[in-house]
Amino acid sequence: VRIVLKYGPLWGPPAPFRDLLASFERANPGVELVAEAMPNASDLAHQLYVTALEGGAADLDVLVIDVIWTPEFARAGWIADLSEAFPPERLREEMLPGAAQAVILGGRTFAVPWYVDVGLLYWRKDLVARAPRTYDELTAFARGAMARRPGLGGFLWQGRQYEGLNCNVFEAIWGHGGETLVDGRLALDTPSARAGLRWLRELVATGLSPPSVTSAAEEDSRRRFQQGDAVFMRNWPYALAELEAPGSPVRGRVGIAPLPSVDGSPGPGALGGWQLAVSARSPPARRAAAERLVGHLSSPEAALMLALAYARNPARSALYSDPRLQAGAPRIAALLPIVQGARPRPVSPYYQLAADALQGEFSAAVTGIRTPEDALRRAQRQVDRLEGAAP
Amino acid sequence: VNEAGRAEARTARRLVAPAALLLGLVALYPAAAGLGMSLQRIVLVFHERRFVGLANWRELLVDDRFQAALGRTAYFTVVAVAAELALALPLALVLDRPGRGRGALRAAALLPWAIPTAVSAKLWAWLLEPGFGVVARLWPGTPVNWLGAPGPALHAAIALDVWKTTPFVALVLLAGLQSIPAEVQAAAEMDGASRPRIFFTVTLPLLRPAVLLAVLFRAIDAFRVFDAVYVLTAGGPAHGTETLSVYAYNTLVRAGDFGYGATVSAATFLCVAALGAMLVAVVGRGAEDAE
Repeated sequence: VRIVLKYGPLWGPPAPFRDLLASFERANPGVELVAEAMPNASDLAHQLYVTALEGGAADLDVLVIDVIWTPEFARAGWIADLSEAFPPERLREEMLPGAAQAVILGGRTFAVPWYVDVGLLYWRKDLVARAPRTYDELTAFARGAMARRPGLGGFLWQGRQYEGLNCNVFEAIWGHGGETLVDGRLALDTPSARAGLRWLRELVATGLSPPSVTSAAEEDSRRRFQQGDAVFMRNWPYALAELEAPGSPVRGRVGIAPLPSVDGSPGPGALGGWQLAVSARSPPARRAAAERLVGHLSSPEAALMLALAYARNPARSALYSDPRLQAGAPRIAALLPIVQGARPRPVSPYYQLAADALQGEFSAAVTGIRTPEDALRRAQRQVDRLEGAAP
Repeated sequence: VNEAGRAEARTARRLVAPAALLLGLVALYPAAAGLGMSLQRIVLVFHERRFVGLANWRELLVDDRFQAALGRTAYFTVVAVAAELALALPLALVLDRPGRGRGALRAAALLPWAIPTAVSAKLWAWLLEPGFGVVARLWPGTPVNWLGAPGPALHAAIALDVWKTTPFVALVLLAGLQSIPAEVQAAAEMDGASRPRIFFTVTLPLLRPAVLLAVLFRAIDAFRVFDAVYVLTAGGPAHGTETLSVYAYNTLVRAGDFGYGATVSAATFLCVAALGAMLVAVVGRGAEDAE
């Protein structure tokens, strides 16, 4: 049989990934594996999947999908129930809690976590004594450092109108003790959501975050932080390798920590990352091979390779205490407490539909065009329309 | 005579048929299909496809995001086209002047037009970047976060459009300038008219058809603007730079709401058609006046 894998490109040398695919073919004689890369931009990949799957395309068997699409694709009936091959209990046991939560819907498995990403706090060891645990500490520490070094920026994050902003806002809401999914519906017009969004707006309004955060994406924040121009930054783990690269002005002076929260407990970071799913249209013979491929790609060995060769954070909890990971990628191994607390954005089939409206309203709030209260009311109305109108 | 005329008409119809068929296939059919979609609620992900009558169109009337996009698009079109004309006219006059290096000058002036919009938009985003951008470094006074607030971001998109298409407008005007017979200007000079006077009373009126043509092309194009805005800001912040085409795209493709997205597209199409018809009428009248 011939099966097709659609995956997002991994940055880095192509050889280790090619070897991983080749070892699958060696272990499964008679299976021909075709790997096709998708666009790197998540929105574009989503668009391609939606048109292909809705059109009934038969030329894809294993799909690599973004963490926020699983409920949507499952609801549409495009991805197969994998509970037989990958029982939910086993995933819950082996995978990080957030990663398992994002792929198990109504007690059934619809995808298998491949690798994860998480929002975390970067802090400058030479400017502050320790990482802040609460929002008040973050403000006080940043103010102190900024008073000593005029021209320094306080806290960098991603406020451009795009999916990264949604991650930042959800983290602020969770950090204020909020739940964003209540009885399966998106809940945004809540006291903690108002508190979270107000906090982000005040960062900009009071100058604790430079005005440029409202147009910044990950790389804008990372470059500025790397220049040594800021005390704190919210970003994904990938930034650490860049910040610690030879020649980086902040090399050796950067610490990582969980995001702060209102009460000092570790703030949950937004869960990012990719999952392996199987097309519901894949015929039985190919389906069996496709499930074996999912097992092969999500095996501990494969996860270790992805961590060592591509700096992708494993979704498997046990791997973080594996000596090979601790020796080969100590920075990733050190992320365990943070990835354990990672929380998926609302696991709802409506999420992707609503994301565009949320981005616009959140952007209006952080730029000060609308009050946070107003923006959340409007966001909730649009979400209700989407959720209410569909069966 | 009558018989021959009818035969000729038949031949004409036969000859026109392939072109008409092609036009119907690639222009009329998609437009009609789009209008049909605007009467349905279509959400692919939920396998929803049902007829809802004019519900989408009624939603359009109360949708402030649509109305804001419509006003913004109109503003974009008026400001961009006016600025392009104002800049292109002097440019065309310079390019029209005989002299050494005219060919090289014309080629250089056309460069922004030759760069794909997506590429120049990325380039502009870098120039405007608050930390590293050249514009930020050279800008006097307090630094402006160009792409971080709706007003500056919209004007940045307008500036990009002006930078890119002024050469095109200049080219159209240049063609107009070259079609003005040299004798007319020579005669005016002979009569003792000053240079500014010749420009305003002879050259400019004769240039009118070219100006109207440029406005027609550019206004229709600017009203449908997509790539410049999409690559520069993706419609943000706060949907504050969202033009009609970007709104339609976001609704159709990002949110997957095909019925409503088609309605926004159809509304854009109707606006462009109305604008086009109006300008064609003006251009037609201009041509008659010129004769």
